[in-house]
Amino acid sequence: MTMKPRQSFLIVMVFILMGGIAWANPPAPVTTNPPPGDAVVSDDSVPFDPFDNPSGDSYGDKDLMLQAVADPIEGFNRTMFVFNDKLYFWVLKPLSSGYRVVVPSPVRVSIKNFFFNLLMPVRLVNCLLQGKGKAAEGEFGRFVANTTVGVLGLFNPAKDYPHLNPPEEDLGQTLGYYSVGNGIYIIWPLFGPSTLRDTVGSIGDWALNPVSFMQLINVDAGELTSGTTNLIAYSVRIVNDTSFRIGDYESLKNAALDPYEAFRNAYIQNRLSKIAQ
Amino acid sequence: MIPKSIAAVMVVFMVMVFPAAAVSMEPLAVIKTPVDTVIAILNDPQYKAAGTKLAQRDEIWKIVKPMFNFDEIAKRAVARNWSDFNDAEKAAFTDVFAQFLGNTYIDKIQGEYHNEQIVYLGQDLYSDIYVEVKTQIVRETLTIPVNYRMIKGGDGQWKVYDIIVEGVSLVKNYRTQFASILSKDKPAQLIQQLNDKLTEQNKRLAENG
Repeated sequence: MTMKPRQSFLIVMVFILMGGIAWANPPAPVTTNPPPGDAVVSDDSVPFDPFDNPSGDSYGDKDLMLQAVADPIEGFNRTMFVFNDKLYFWVLKPLSSGYRVVVPSPVRVSIKNFFFNLLMPVRLVNCLLQGKGKAAEGEFGRFVANTTVGVLGLFNPAKDYPHLNPPEEDLGQTLGYYSVGNGIYIIWPLFGPSTLRDTVGSIGDWALNPVSFMQLINVDAGELTSGTTNLIAYSVRIVNDTSFRIGDYESLKNAALDPYEAFRNAYIQNRLSKIAQ
Repeated sequence: MIPKSIAAVMVVFMVMVFPAAAVSMEPLAVIKTPVDTVIAILNDPQYKAAGTKLAQRDEIWKIVKPMFNFDEIAKRAVARNWSDFNDAEKAAFTDVFAQFLGNTYIDKIQGEYHNEQIVYLGQDLYSDIYVEVKTQIVRETLTIPVNYRMIKGGDGQWKVYDIIVEGVSLVKNYRTQFASILSKDKPAQLIQQLNDKLTEQNKRLAENG
C-alpha cells in the first residue's frame, strides 16, 4: 500500500519471472482420482479414509508428505504467531466487535459485497489462468449482475444462482494447480499465515486489484489512487470482514493442544482443498 | 436419474421386503435429526436464564454423542502411534478426547449461535460402509462448508468419524498435533494433557455458567 509504484513494479516483475519458471514445468492438475477398485478397505486396526486417498493408506507417508510443509524459519514464525495473536485480541477484535455494534448488519453486508465485487478481476484472471472457463463465465456474470442490478456491487442478487458462484480462485491456487509446491511456511505480521508460493501469489493478486493496477500503470485518479485512501480502504475491509468471523479464531485456538501446529496444519489443509476445487 | 415417484415406490417396496433396512437410519438423517434438535435446544427460552449453561450443554451432549464413533475418531487421530497405547490407555484416551471435543464444540455453538441456517447438500456414498454427508452453515454473507464423513458399524448404524470444515479435517488436524506431542512424550502424558485441558474447560464453564 505504501510501496512506491516502481518498487511494486519490480516485485511484479520478479513474480512474473518466477511464474515463468513455474509454468515451464508441464502443467499437471494436482489431484486425480484413481479408480475406486484400487481401494483396499483394511481391517479395523488400520484407519482408512477413502475420501481423500483412495490408495488405502490415509495416514501414510503420502498423506503426511502432502500436509507437511517446510518450516525452516519456525522461530520467526512462532514470534509472529504470538504477535498476530496479540494484535487480534488487543486491536482487531475490540475494533471489529465495536464496529459490529455500531454498524448495522445490512451495511456491513453491503460493504463486504462491494469489496468482493471490486476484486472480481483477481478471481477472473485466475479462473482463466487455470483454464476454468465455466467458472470464469460465472465470475463475469456475477460481476455484471451485481454491478448493475446490485448497484455497484453493494447488493448480491447473484447469490441464489449456483453457476454464478464458482469457488474463489487466487494466484496461490493457480500456482498450486500447476504443481508449484508450498515452498516454506511463513507467518507475516498483520497478514497472517502463508507460504512462499502463496506470498508470491498474493503480490500478484495485489497487482490485479483494480486500484493497485491503476497505480502500476501510472494512472493518476487523484484521491482514489492515493496511498492514504488505499490504507483506509484496506483497514475497513479487514475490520468489516472480521466482524462476521468474531469467535472463529478463538474456537480453533481453544480446540488446539498446540495452537501453532494446529493453525499451520489447518492453513495447509485449507489451501490444498481450495487448489483441488 | 430415477423420478421421485418411482424412487418412493422402491423405498416402500424395500421397506416391506427388508424390514431390517428400515431400522438403520439414512446417513443424512443421522446428521439432520440431532442437529435440528440441538438448534431447538439452543433456541429454547428455558436456557436463556443465567446459570443454565451447564444444563444446556449436558442436554446437547446427550443428543450429539450418539452421532459420533469416538473409537474411530481417537484411533484415526492418533494413527501410527495407536499401537504404542495399551488397552487401558486406549480406553482412557478415547474417553477424554471425546469429552474434550464435546466440550470445545458445544461451548462454541452455545456462545456463538446466531440463527445460522444449515443447508443439506446431499450425501456422497463411497462404498457400503463409507459415506460423506455435505452441509453448509450459512451465516449472513458467509457460507461455511461442513462435511461429515461416516462409517457404518457392525450394528448397521452410520456414525461420524471425521468432520471437514472448510477443507480442514478435524482428525488430521489433531493427528499432526498428537504426532508432535507423541514424538517427545508417552501416551500417558498426552492423556494427562487432555485431562488438564478438560479440567480447565469445566472450571471456566462452571464460573461463567
